[in-house]
Parts: sequence; C-alpha cells; structure tokens
Amino acid sequence: MQKRLTLIAAAVLLVVIGLLPVLMMVANSFVVDGVFSVAAYRALLASGKQQWVLMGHSLSLSLGVAFFATTVGVPLGLLLGKTDLPFRRTFTILLAVPLLIPPYVIAVAWFAVIGAGGWITRLLPAISHHLSWAFFGLYGCIAVLFTAFVPIVILLTIAYLGAVNPRLEAAGRLVSGWPGVLRRITLPLIAPAIVFAAVLVFLLTLGEVGVPTYLRYSVYPVETLTQFAAFYDFSAATAAAIPLLIVTLAMLTLEYGLLHKQVSELANVTFGVSRAQIELGRWKFPLLAVVLIWALITVALPLAALVAEAPSLTAYAEAFSRASDSILRSLVFAVIGASLLTVLGFFWGYIVHDRTLPFWRGVDALALFLFTLPGTVIGIGLISLWNTPVTNLVYRTPAIIILGYLAQYAVLPTRMTSGILERIPPSLERAARLCGADWFMTLRHIVAPLAIRGLIAVWIVSYVFCLRDLGISMVVYPPGSDTLPVRILTLMANGAPTLLAALCVILVAITLLPLAAAALWLRRKSPL
Amino acid sequence: MKYASWIALVLVVAASIALWHFYPSAGTQTVVVYVSHDQVFSEPILKDFEKDTGIKVLAVYDTEETKSTGAMNRLIAEKSNPQADVYWANEPVRAEVLRQQHISAPYVSPSAAGIPDTFRDPDGYWTGFAARARLLIVHTGVDPRPTSVLSYTDPNWRGKAVIANPLFGTTTDQIAALFSVWGDDRGNSFMRGLHANDVKISPSNGDSADLVARGEFAFSLVDSDDAVNRMKQHQPVDLVYPDQAADEVGCLIVPNAAVLIAGAPHPEAGKKLLDYLLSNDTERKLALSDAAQIPLHPGITPPPQLKPIESIKVMKVNYADVAAKLQAIQPVLKAWVGS
Repeated sequence: MQKRLTLIAAAVLLVVIGLLPVLMMVANSFVVDGVFSVAAYRALLASGKQQWVLMGHSLSLSLGVAFFATTVGVPLGLLLGKTDLPFRRTFTILLAVPLLIPPYVIAVAWFAVIGAGGWITRLLPAISHHLSWAFFGLYGCIAVLFTAFVPIVILLTIAYLGAVNPRLEAAGRLVSGWPGVLRRITLPLIAPAIVFAAVLVFLLTLGEVGVPTYLRYSVYPVETLTQFAAFYDFSAATAAAIPLLIVTLAMLTLEYGLLHKQVSELANVTFGVSRAQIELGRWKFPLLAVVLIWALITVALPLAALVAEAPSLTAYAEAFSRASDSILRSLVFAVIGASLLTVLGFFWGYIVHDRTLPFWRGVDALALFLFTLPGTVIGIGLISLWNTPVTNLVYRTPAIIILGYLAQYAVLPTRMTSGILERIPPSLERAARLCGADWFMTLRHIVAPLAIRGLIAVWIVSYVFCLRDLGISMVVYPPGSDTLPVRILTLMANGAPTLLAALCVILVAITLLPLAAAALWLRRKSPL
Repeated sequence: MKYASWIALVLVVAASIALWHFYPSAGTQTVVVYVSHDQVFSEPILKDFEKDTGIKVLAVYDTEETKSTGAMNRLIAEKSNPQADVYWANEPVRAEVLRQQHISAPYVSPSAAGIPDTFRDPDGYWTGFAARARLLIVHTGVDPRPTSVLSYTDPNWRGKAVIANPLFGTTTDQIAALFSVWGDDRGNSFMRGLHANDVKISPSNGDSADLVARGEFAFSLVDSDDAVNRMKQHQPVDLVYPDQAADEVGCLIVPNAAVLIAGAPHPEAGKKLLDYLLSNDTERKLALSDAAQIPLHPGITPPPQLKPIESIKVMKVNYADVAAKLQAIQPVLKAWVGS
C-alpha cells in the first residue's frame, strides 16, 4: 500500500507538472473572448500549401539529422562501448561535449570556422563563398544539428550495449567471430535503442528553432514562433503547434511498437558474468586515429574557434562582471533541478521498471512526450497554469523555472533509473521485505546503496540539461533572474563577439567541471 | 552512500544561501521592467536608475534579434495577473498593440515635455524616446548608390539587395508604414516587385548589415544603429537616408517607447522609471553609447554619424494606423515569406 500510494502520487505529480500546463494551453486555444471557438484551427486549415512546404522542410531536416546521427553514432558507440580502443572513456566524455552546449552556440562556433571571415575562409579563400552559402541553409542546419545530437546516439548505444546479456554473446562466440555475434546477436538486441535514439534525434530536430533561424532555413516550428512573436496570437500559435504534436505522437507510437517487443531481452540481466570486449588487434590504432580525427573536427575545432574569439583574460573578466549573477543562478537552478529530477525521477523510473501499476507505460510516454515538446510551448503552458494571484509564490520565483525543468527533462531520470533498477537483482528487494523491512526501508538500505553510482550519473545528466536549458528559461524566468544561456542569447544582439565567446566558454566550463569531478570520484568507487 | 548524503546536504544548503542572496529583502523598493531594447545598451541605463534612485530593478530582457518571444508574449500571457510595471519597447508598434489589448495604462510623464507629438500617444499610453532611423546601408564600393526604398524593385539592383524577414521587428514596421502611406495596391505591388527583383531575405537587420559589409549584397534597409556599429568597426559601409526628395515619402523613424502596465504591482516606482527613461539624460546616454539612438528632445547632440531629427525628412505616419495596418497585412507578409 505504502509503495502503491507513493508511486501513484509521483505519477500524479508528473501529470500536474508536465501535462496540465500543456492541456491548459490547448484548452485556451479553443476560447476566444470567453467563448468556445475553433477559429484558430479553421485558419490553420485554410492557410494553404505554405504550411506543408514548411512541414516538408522540417521533416527533411529531421530525417537528415536522424539518418546521419544514427549512421555515425552507432559505430562510434560500438567502438567506445564494446571494444578495447585506447582512451575510450576520455573519447566518450569528449564526444559528449556538444550535447552539453546549446545548439545555437555550436552554430555560432561553426560560423567562426567556416563562415565568411572564418578560419577555413582565410585558409582556402577559393571555396569560401560556396562553403558559406552551403552553411546557410539545409546542409548547414543538418551539419550543426548532427554535431549537436550525435552524442545522444553514441551514449544510448553505449548504455544499451552494457545491458545486453553477456551470456548470449558468449554463446554466440562459441560458433562465430565478433562480426557474426554483432550482426546476429548484439545489434538486433540493441536495435530498439538505436530506433529510440533515432526517434529522439528526429524529434529534437523537429522542435529546433534557434539553429534554422540562425542559418536562414525556414522550418515548421518557425510558424509557431511567428504566431507567438509576430502575431501575438496564442490560440493560433497553439493550433500551429498541433501538427508538430501529431508527428511527435506518431513517432513515439512507432518507437513504442518497436522498442517494447524486444526490451525484455535486455531486461534479463545476468549477474556475476563479466562483459566481453572486442579486441581490435591490428585495427586498434587506425581506428584510434579515426576517432581522434572525428573528435578534433566535431568537438575540438568549434570549441577552439570559440576560445580563439576570446583570447584574453580581459574578455573573461568582462564576462564575469556582466554575468556573474547569471552564472551563479544557472548553477543553483541546475543543482536544485537536477536534485529534484533525481529524487522524483527515481519514483517515475521505479514505476516504469516495476510495471505493476496499470499506467506505467503512460508515465514513460508522457515523460518522453514532454521532452520532445519545444521549451517555449511548455513555457507558455506554465504561464497559462501558474500565473494567477493565488500561485504568485510559484510564478514570481525560480520555482517556475524548476517546474519547467521537471516537466521537460523528466524522461532522463525516468529512463535512466528504470535501466539502473533493471540491474539490481529483484531477489534482494524481496528478501528485505521477507525480513520485515517496509518499502521505504528497502529502498533506503538496499536499492539506493546499490543504485548510488547510477543515481549520481542521473544527477549529472539532469544537471547538464538544466544548465543548458534555454527554451523554458527564456519564457518563464522571473524578472531579474535570468540564467547564463538566456543572457548569452540576449547579449547576442549587438554584444561584442569576444564577450559572447567568453560567456560560451564559461558555460562549457561550468558544465564540464562538475562532470570531471564526478568522473574522478566515480573512478575511485567500485562499480555496481 | 554516506558521502552522497553529505554532498546532497551541502548542495541544498549552498543552493538555499544563493537563493536568499538573489532576492531583495521585503523592505527594498523594486520595479519590474520588461525590455525589448538590446540588453547590452539598456542594462547600463537601468543600473544607473538603480544607483540614482535606490529602487531595485528586476528586468526581463528580450531583443528584436530573439524575435521578442519573451517580453511581449509574456506581457500578453500575464494580462490577467500582471507582473511587470513598465515595458521598454524598442519600437512603438508593439506599444500600440499593448494599448489595443488593454494591457497598458495612460501616464503622461513630465519628462516627455519637448518630445514631438508624432512620437507619442496622445493619451499617454506610450511615449517615444531615443529613436532609430530606417536607413539604407550601402557597401562602399557601390556607385551610383540607391536613394530610395524603391531601389529594391529597380531592375538595376536585381539580385543585389537583401532585406530582413518582414515578419519580425522593425522591417515589419517599415512594410506596414509603406502600406499605410501608399495604400494597399501600391504596397502589394511593391512586395511583388521585391520577389520579381530577386531580393534575398535575412533573419535580422544585423545579418543584413553584415551581408552588405562583406560585400555579398550592395545594400539593405536596416536600423541606423546597425549601420553606425558597422561604421564604428571600420567596415566598408556607408549610410543613405532614403526618400529625402520633396516628392518622396521620407525616412521612417522608429523610437523606443516607454509603457506603464495596467494593474502594475508597483505603479509609483514604475512612473519613476518612466520619468527616468524619458529624460534628456537617458537620451544623451543612448546617443553616446553604441546604441547610437537619435534623441527626440530638442537640443541633444545625436551620434556623430547621424543627423539630428530636425534635419531628416521624416516619413509622416500615425503609429496607431501602422499598428492596425501591420496586423491587417500579416497574411500578405506570411504568404510573401513562404512563396
């Protein structure tokens, strides 16, 4: 009963935090001057082929990014997660860096490399014009968003490779070499993860506005933005967002169909069996060179361009003097957001892992759905729900940003915790209960200590996403309480490039430093 | 596990202390302002206001470059429970939209004395100050130079001109003002002419200015501050005030607008901030800074690269009409951008 009530309360909390604001916004779109109206939807249907052209652009971009991210990310994930490639942990962290940076910052960094007046332009002036034109358009958008989102595929591939039952691979190895085992056992088993990663990249690209706007490529979410920004029409903006929601739901349904058929194979984790590693042999150093070159081009080069834009300490002193409050606020909000996400996500993840509550799939789907919604949409929903005289205590304080974080990023702790709990033998929990421990005692003394390493990883991932958040913070931050990504964006208008570059470098640094500290700490602890 | 508990405790305590540090104590007088003018220019003015009056400013910043998704939409979304006292709009059309949606309140500031009537709402729902002019930024190598917005449709400039997306910001105002002055038929014909003459669209005025400075285009309509900034950076550009001949429409002037919000939580502090924003001193600071705004009070020296307001042939528009026209032509603009 204790367990059931707690899990139901956690599920209700997710509905209140995440679903209610979105429902409120949709409900408001049917009300014009206090009367029920479908005018906004009629106007959308009557708006002609332009919408379909924009949707076509969005789908092309999303498919392009998802295709390239999957094609490149899965082999890299295999190399880093399954082989004896030297420095694979270092490379994993390095290749994950673009995920820590807001995509528009990556676009700015790439512009410093290949834009007019950039490094490549100065080195190869003959191709600069073509390169610059290709950059501003579909190809540039694909390249930037591919760089930003490929770490998702790499990390998910590595995570799911770790969940493959090693005994299946060991059995396969008796009759076949690694290529055969990978083709017939490992890859089919992690196929759901690959599909999930591709769908996630597709949906994140579909909702992206900053990069296509910067690179002058018209996409469908700009339609929603236009309704908000140019027309100030909330009903029309919500109506314009509906086709995006339909595509999102269709993709999630497809992903569910594929993922949950095979997930049971991954759930059957066997304890006490070590994971086999592919020995690369003579391929070790050529592949190391490939990964190194890849890391240099996609991570080091744009980061170096940012650092080169702010070469002096004066730029950093100026950045701190102009944004020290924002930096501190970003850190505090991210710490609070990550801590709450870790605690609440534990229970949401438990619901998904436990599968005893009939709506467990709904919790997982809702969390994923919220993750794929544009932050501005969730932000406007939060204003609709919380901006009332009785809830000013929430709306006028950073609590509103934290609620936004909890809604948008719920899926991260949910899915990660669910994966962590899969690896804890259920017999331990049952044994504790037989000894008379109640559910909370079991969680505290059995489950939490065994999951602590994974929960720290959950906290770090949540921290990173809260820290880099822009969509929600931009729309709901309380007056005088902007965060660093928001300040970078607002300073982009006529702000000195050196100041912006210095702030971007600080954002990357404050993201990486706690990660590095945690990595060092975790290395000293024994693995689960 | 023990370490983790300690770390969690330390994090919670640190976060609580930091939150305590961020928020003003109950006795501190505060004013909440939503700002659409570029933060890099508006923040120093607000800091000076804090220093001079002791009133703590809590600001929400937004810019034209970010398509104003923040401040303006928040004001509309918060209509039933206003959080802001003042809105510092970077152009008067937004202020007019707020008036039409009953979000602003009337206030005639004593500091507004001397600002020409053209640049203020007669009932005090908004007051203009520190303006930008809509100018042609022209690459220095270009000769002869364009002299009118109609150069956009002149076949001599085919494929050589760029304009910021007319769905956003001051370019929307420009097109709406032209429709308002010329009438719909001529306005529509002009828009068709832009397409026929292969005029390119950029995401913002800043991008347009950069494209011209790099020589990728010959000219573009931009805000005066965009042009002045490139000139200060010694980029190869000049500026041209468009349509200055006797039979031409003149140059559109886009002032900032200060607005008091209806139902503001701190109305008195809000009025003090409005008085401060509309003062000669603020106009002088905005003229001298990189914002390069043209003062509207008489007798204040403009930025060295720009003419004083009295020397410019100003496009004669009623900003309320421009706001109404802007909303009426949105379908035209949307279709134009999408075609």
